[in-house]
Amino acid sequence: MMKVFDMLIPMTIEGMRITIGVFLLTLIISLPLSIIIAKLRMSKNKIVSKVTGIYIYIMRGTPLLLQLMFIFFGFHYIPVIGFAFGRYQAILVAFVLNYTAYFAEIFRGGINAIDIGQIEASTVLGLSKRFTFMKVILPQVLKNVMPSIGNEVITLVKDTSLVYILGVADILKAAKSVSNTYSTFIPYIFVGIIYLIITAVLTRFLNNIENKFNYYR
Amino acid sequence: MLKVENLSKAFGKTLVLNNISFDIKNGEIVCIKGKSGEGKTTLLRCLNSLEVADKGSIRIKDKYLFREVNGKIQYASKEDLKELRQEIGLVFQSFNLFPHMTVKENLYLAPKFLNKMSQKEIEKRANELLLNLELEDKKDSYPYQLSGGQRQRAAIARACMLNPSILCFDEPTSALDEETRGQISKIIRDLAAQGIAIIIVTHDNAFVEEIAQRTITLSKGSISINY
Repeated sequence: MMKVFDMLIPMTIEGMRITIGVFLLTLIISLPLSIIIAKLRMSKNKIVSKVTGIYIYIMRGTPLLLQLMFIFFGFHYIPVIGFAFGRYQAILVAFVLNYTAYFAEIFRGGINAIDIGQIEASTVLGLSKRFTFMKVILPQVLKNVMPSIGNEVITLVKDTSLVYILGVADILKAAKSVSNTYSTFIPYIFVGIIYLIITAVLTRFLNNIENKFNYYR
Repeated sequence: MLKVENLSKAFGKTLVLNNISFDIKNGEIVCIKGKSGEGKTTLLRCLNSLEVADKGSIRIKDKYLFREVNGKIQYASKEDLKELRQEIGLVFQSFNLFPHMTVKENLYLAPKFLNKMSQKEIEKRANELLLNLELEDKKDSYPYQLSGGQRQRAAIARACMLNPSILCFDEPTSALDEETRGQISKIIRDLAAQGIAIIIVTHDNAFVEEIAQRTITLSKGSISINY
């Protein structure tokens, strides 16, 4: 029993770097990027909005697992590009592309839900479009989308386990190795609890943010 | 002060405004009356450049907001448009205050952005307006914490921050009870007494009787009566 944990704990700590790393980097890049994508999706320029729409369709319409495989194994088969991603690059690119698409759709919904009167009031007051978006629209959008964004953030924690397909050792992979070595199921229960703890902390954090937006209705 | 000439606007094939002409002097209170769907709000939206007109011209003071050049509508340059926007204010029917900002922040936003007044001047102007409109104890409240009448007065204060020479009201009595109605008439008269030209779009005949110095009646997009 002690031997199981002697092996499991250091491996889990190693795996934690991957799990948390993929999670944080994806969020840091995807969230701001998705606001830009949402704006492009809503662009009056038909080509821009169509191209963005196709991107979102592909990202939401195929499994993230397949996207990971495609970007790592399949990318350099595409002629002309002749370029291959490293493991970690591929993981980051796939997660960012995938999550940006989901976040962008959430933001698009949030922007559409803002009363047009808010924009008209800003126009009449002589505010520029950019200023209106940053100071009037975006703060209200953030409040609207927080619950849905929170949902995706929690899903992301669990999706990080998909990196095993590229042979990268996250906490789930650590559990699997130890489980195979000692023929015990305990490591799986152990990482299950770790996922629950991460989710509990995140839920708390997300609730705090939601409450911060409750200063107005 | 404001001169509208031969203004026309169609949505698709429906002619909403048909050859509208009128003018308004400093400090005058003009009501634009008409049933719903007769083009009142569209007229107001054209005055505030929320809608692009098809024909005609609008002049504010000595500058054209837009006019017809060789049969095409030509708007003022970006710079002029910015100036002209400050000359004309609008109090929306639903007020459209910014819900995530306090009353004070609602008032400060535009002058801060336009960068024409110092922070001190902005605060001074806001305090004056809030005092006149009996909102001084509400300046740190959020719009959801205000009554309908208070929200309207906050919206008026916000529109007045830039010292407009024309102020438009869209259905100002629609959200008010008898008591606050008396209050809004007084506020509008006070604004007019300061030389601001007031344009009120309404279908509330009693209110028109009470406040209008001149009434323009729209029917089917044309001016049927102007007295």
